[in-house]
Order: sequence, then C-alpha cells, then structure tokens
Amino acid sequence: MRKAAVASPTGASAPPARDARGRRPVPAPLSEDSRLAIEIRGLVERVDLDDARERFAALVASHQRRALRIAYQYLRDAADADEAVQDAFVKVFTHITSYREAWPFEVWFTRILINGCLDRRKMRARRDRWFVPADETTGADELRASIAGSPDANPEARLLARERLARMTAAIDRLEGRQRTVFMLCHYGDCTPREVSAMTGLNESTVRVHLFRAARKLRGLLGGQP
Amino acid sequence: MITHAHHIQEERLFDCYFVERSGELLDPPLAEHLAECAECGARYGELTRFMDGLRAEADRESDAVFTPERLHAQRQQIARRLEHASRAARVISFPGRSVSRPGNSTPRVATRWIAAAAAAGLFVGLAVGMFSGSQAFKGARQMNASARQAPGARPAPGARPTFLTPVPTRGNGPAPDASDDAFMSDLDVALERPRTRELLPFEALTPHVREVSDRLR
Repeated sequence: MRKAAVASPTGASAPPARDARGRRPVPAPLSEDSRLAIEIRGLVERVDLDDARERFAALVASHQRRALRIAYQYLRDAADADEAVQDAFVKVFTHITSYREAWPFEVWFTRILINGCLDRRKMRARRDRWFVPADETTGADELRASIAGSPDANPEARLLARERLARMTAAIDRLEGRQRTVFMLCHYGDCTPREVSAMTGLNESTVRVHLFRAARKLRGLLGGQP
Repeated sequence: MITHAHHIQEERLFDCYFVERSGELLDPPLAEHLAECAECGARYGELTRFMDGLRAEADRESDAVFTPERLHAQRQQIARRLEHASRAARVISFPGRSVSRPGNSTPRVATRWIAAAAAAGLFVGLAVGMFSGSQAFKGARQMNASARQAPGARPAPGARPTFLTPVPTRGNGPAPDASDDAFMSDLDVALERPRTRELLPFEALTPHVREVSDRLR
C-alpha cells in the first residue's frame, strides 16, 4: 500500500505548494504562532535558550491537544502517540533555526509530526513482521473502551459505543495511505486543503479529490452512520 | 446560477462542508441553492451529521485517553527533554579503560611500539630456536655415526641412548648385523632404567626380538 508522501520535516526552504491553477498563493499574514516561532528562532540564534524554552512552552500548550488528536488517530496507540508528539516538539525546537516564514508554523509543525507518525507506523509494521503481537487490549484501550460512551451509560450502550469505535477505526484503516493522511489532517487536524497541500506537497485540487474519496469511502463502509 | 434541475454533486457538497468548517463563507449561488433546494439541503444535512459525528466520536475518544493530567505530564516531559537537548552531549568513558582523546596520539603510538617490539622478539626467538635446533640435530647425527663406527662398544651403564636406528623386523630384508646388536643393547639399557622397572615382569613374558632372530638363524 502506498504511504502518504509528506515533504521533509526540515525542508523549510522548499517553496510553498502552488494552488489549483498552478499559481503561487499570496502569502497570508503571519499567525500568532508563526510570530512566536520567529521570536523563538531569534532567541535560539542569540543562544538565549532559557527564554527560548519558556516561549516554546506556550507553543506546546497551544498545539498539544491537536497534535495528540492527529497522532492518536494515526497510530491508534496512546503511548505511541504520546512519544510521537513529544518527539515532534523536541525536533521543532532543535531545528527552529531552519524555520522560515514561508510556512505557517502549524503547517511546519504538523509536517514534522506526520513524518514522525509515518516512521512509527513503518517501524511497527517491521516489528510486527518478526514478533507475535501482544494482546491488543492495552490499558489505554481498556480505558478508552470503558469511557467511550457516557460514563453513566448502561452496559449495552457502552458495548454499542465500543463496537462503533472499532468499526470506525477499521474503516479509517482501510483508507489508502494518501487518502488517510489527507482525511486525518483535514478532519482531525483542522487543516484546510490548502494547508494540507503545503504539508504534503500535493496539488490543492488533488487534496480535495483525496478528501472527497476518503469521506465517500468512509460513508460507504460505515453505512452513512458514524 | 444553480437551478433546482441540477442538484449539487456530492463532491461539491463535501467542499461546502470543509469550507464552512474552516470558517469561510460559501459561494453565494451555492448557499442559495442549498437553502432553496430541499433535496440538496437534506443531503447536505445528512453529510454534515455524518462528518460531525465522526469528528465528535474521535474527539471524545482522544479526550478520554489524553486527560488534562496526562497533558500536563507530557508538557513537563517535553520541557525536560528540551533542557537536555540544549546541553552538549557528554561522552562517558567505558569503565576500566582510559578514554583516548582525539588529537592526542601518544597512547596509540606507544601501543604500536609495544606491538612492534613483541613481533620482533617473536621473530628473533624463532630464528634462535631454529638455529639451536639444527645444531642439536647435527650433534645427534655425529654421535650416531660414531656409534656405528664402533659396533662392539657399549655405552656407559647410566648413559642415555641418543639415537635409535630403525630395524627391519619382517620381510626379506638383509640379515641383522652389528648395528642390530647395538640397538638391542640400547633397548636393554633402557629397560634397566629405574622408571621401567615395573614393566620388567611384562617384559619377561614378552619374547625378545633378539631371541627370535637368533632362533631364525
């Protein structure tokens, strides 16, 4: 199965993706996060690392939840997602000097995160080839299963919620690699097709096509019910 | 202008959904059609419910796993890692061995000298050993030659035989001569030595080659 190709994490000097008509997009005004990232870059360049770390904590706090949501949907394992997000933030900080204003910070960060998730999936696939997978019910899964529905719901409702989750997960796993990435980024990562286009290097209209096909396939697999 | 006769395609409906979700405004003709066409409005509503349901389910699941405490712990962990990441890496020396620093080549040179001296010593030792071995071999041959020249002479009682010549014991070889007698007497001398005294009873039971050869004569 083809994997989604996400551009190099530190390749900040690469030009922004062109729009559907092949024109360069007009540079958008810098977001608050991008300005903060530029400030941190300046501090790191002046070797004022304590201040840089302090400012970076604000970036972590604002992107953490979204990053975890993306990583968790991608990896389907709480510990893996936790590590992937940590790694992405550490990588961003250590490579902050290569950040360029051509990209909004969230695009740059998400690109690094997705690359990390893809690497982990590959690693897991390699590992599973050699080792017998352990019992799939981990602590996190049990927790998730137990509170997937309302905590006060009756056992039947909780069982139904678990089944619904399992069905959804299986359906998303059946998406083709590129479709899955585009769908994850747009639907769970709150990215616009233009941002996904910048992250993946795909044409914006291609992103829209992948997104539509992914959503249609999911509707087909889930019978119109989430 | 989109008329009611041409309903909005599903792909456009998805576009509308993502455009609305990103906070942007729909194209006015599209928005107008969705408002007026009951069928397209119903399809759009169904699509919106499905997609929102997917999203809500995923958010609920993610929030259940990543609680505020866990998020806080993760932020602390990231801060710790960043603090370590900004420090220079330190090389820890392997226990019991000195760390060779780059740029300081003295230990390596000393090691080379030791290795070269050991190799030279080995070669010298081999050469001396071979030389002395060949000298001893020559001496033994000379002694054996002198023993052959005096067949009747018996070695001193305590003397150790230095060289034993092979004797044909079967077949149609030449008859035993004086050197055979010397060999036999060497054997006798060897048997009389204190360390072989325990074997004398066995030796008495064993027929001697000399006796057999005498009988054959």
